[in-house]
Amino acid sequence: MASDLLSIAVSGARAARGALDVTAQNIANASSEGYVRRSLRIEEVSASGGAGRIGDISLSGSRIAEIRRNADPFLQGEVRRTSGDLERANVELKGLRNMESALEQSGVFTSIVEFEAALQQLAGDPVDPSRRAAVIGEATTLANKFNITASSFDAVGDGLRFEADAQVSEANIIGGELARVNLRLTRAGSGSSDRAALLDQRDQLLERLAGFTSVTTSFESDGTVAVSLGTNPPRSFVQGGTSGALTSAVAADGTLSFAVDGQAVSPGSGSLAGASLALTELASARTRLDTIAAGLADAVNNAQAAGVALDGSPGQPIFSGTTAGTLQVVMTDGEGLATAPAGAGAGSRDDANLSALRQSLASLDPAQQLSGLLFDVSSKVAGRNVTQSALETIASSARVSLEQQSGVDLDAEAANLIRFQQAFQASGRAMQVASDIFDTLLGIGR
Amino acid sequence: MINLSTGAFYERTTRQIGSLRARAESLQQQIGTGERLERSSDDPVAAARLRMLGRTERLADVDSRNSQLAEADLSLTDKTLGSVADVIVRVRQLAVQAASSTLSDEQRSAIGVEVASLRENLVVLANSRNIAGHALFGGQTAGAAYVDNGTTVQFVGTGNATPLEIGEGQSVEPSLTGPEVFEFGTASGPSDLFAVLGDLASALAAGGQGAIDASSAALADLDAGLEKVTTAQTVVGSRLNWIDLMSERRENNAERIADERSDVGGADIAVTMTRLQETLTVLEASQASFVRLANLSLFSMLR
Repeated sequence: MASDLLSIAVSGARAARGALDVTAQNIANASSEGYVRRSLRIEEVSASGGAGRIGDISLSGSRIAEIRRNADPFLQGEVRRTSGDLERANVELKGLRNMESALEQSGVFTSIVEFEAALQQLAGDPVDPSRRAAVIGEATTLANKFNITASSFDAVGDGLRFEADAQVSEANIIGGELARVNLRLTRAGSGSSDRAALLDQRDQLLERLAGFTSVTTSFESDGTVAVSLGTNPPRSFVQGGTSGALTSAVAADGTLSFAVDGQAVSPGSGSLAGASLALTELASARTRLDTIAAGLADAVNNAQAAGVALDGSPGQPIFSGTTAGTLQVVMTDGEGLATAPAGAGAGSRDDANLSALRQSLASLDPAQQLSGLLFDVSSKVAGRNVTQSALETIASSARVSLEQQSGVDLDAEAANLIRFQQAFQASGRAMQVASDIFDTLLGIGR
Repeated sequence: MINLSTGAFYERTTRQIGSLRARAESLQQQIGTGERLERSSDDPVAAARLRMLGRTERLADVDSRNSQLAEADLSLTDKTLGSVADVIVRVRQLAVQAASSTLSDEQRSAIGVEVASLRENLVVLANSRNIAGHALFGGQTAGAAYVDNGTTVQFVGTGNATPLEIGEGQSVEPSLTGPEVFEFGTASGPSDLFAVLGDLASALAAGGQGAIDASSAALADLDAGLEKVTTAQTVVGSRLNWIDLMSERRENNAERIADERSDVGGADIAVTMTRLQETLTVLEASQASFVRLANLSLFSMLR
């Protein structure tokens, strides 16, 4: 007889103990980030009898065949892809929102309207010193508001670039980690709990990397992964135990470009793609704001040059600077406003030049231009908002289906706990029976 | 078998309750501020419209201040023209008296003194200042409208007054210039009130038949002058009417703008309150059901 009841029972008890350990591990990690539910595959150990001994019972109990990780590579890929898209939308939306706030909360639109109103008020009495002072005051406010908007834009760009910089160095750290995990995976025994933990780590690193740029992965049978970053075309980043270097460069207009090991790559998705998109938007909005500021300053200064000030001298420029950031009021005294046309005497109440100034401002319409800029930015924000919430739903449903499939269900674990506890008790009972049989045998002949 | 992951359950619930809370808070903010839009991106088209409405409102504000100014100047002009007319009527009475042959030369020269002082009054009236302190009849000049050099009174102002904008592209001249009030044509060519009064005063002072002739001749000139002044008063009256009309239009416009503003950007309190109540009900139900579901663990049954 090739079977041994006691050792069968012991192997059963050992398998049940292992299953209980795995269950306890699952319960302990029910809310651990990136933990994939483990399950145990228990298989029978038996040998077929030799030639001529077909009828023999040849059983050896059970053993733990594999600690299985219940991860679905497709769902994990979906989570990576959708979370990358969501990150891109989030960062772009955040950048655009900050731009919108910079434009809206600096009140530059209101200050243009106030400047227009002050000019219109001056038309009521072009020689009134207080009305003239009001125009200079509003012009100063206007220039300050442009400056504030420009520096807020700078701050938005700095923030985006700073974050992108930090993410690039984090992506490089993740690349190094992935290469190390790859090396350890080649050494881990297949089906071991060590391997499962390494795979958890690998998937978590991949997910974090996908949050920065789009990743293309190819998995080997031993669990190691080769990673390429970005699109157009994807550049190889992690290959076996080696990882490349992701770098970023800032162009003159503040936009970002990326390269892996010196080869240009576009991030495709993820927060780096979002930052890159937002910075491009920022650069174009910045140019438009500068154009509005320069146009306004030009219109006012040109009209000034065509007229004479209150003392009859030729009109001097009110503004200096050609960008929103450098716009400044250089006229300090309201008497310098050239409301009267050239040739008018000192103290003239003729407002022909003021009318010309107001007319050229009206045809330039900086208020409308700024409102248009604000409209463009805010409608982009509104549009991206819709995209972002759609992507959020998609990403969260991908994550939920992955969690459904790979997460820990405490109720199922509770049931497993009872089940394996009973299996353990039953194996114990089998050992009891073996002992009883042995006692019976020993008692023969007493 | 479908594996109902505990982590997924908690994540889903957090997300749902979080989004309900966010919606409730945004509704609460709409009720608190009365504004539907918190930032432009909430409704870019409406926000752009609101900006332009705000601008129109602000500029209309200046228009109404300018039109108040024009109204004040024109009323002042009207009052001054009334005083000028009074002076002309008084001079005409005196000229009729002086034309009578029953008066002695002394009496005529006494009348002449009064006419001379009335002429000075007229010069003062012609140099009246508007509420900003500028010459009322001086056009765009910086100084006085008329200079009296003893014998003649010279107009030193400019030909036209600066028109004032009173909104919707309309403008009005807030005053008249001296020539429009004091100069007129007589049988012997163009003249002005100052010359007529001055000539009359000096003829009366000289006495004799010349004084009687001058007095009766002055009557026609004075009539022409009075007509010119009353015409000017009519012009001023019609301008005041025009300003009134524009003010009324502005008020109507302001009302329309306020209406549109609340249509475009205002929060409808009744609708918003109902939505808030609905959201809160759903939120409470979600919270209650979350607590019950979370307690529904098999572990709590294992004793």
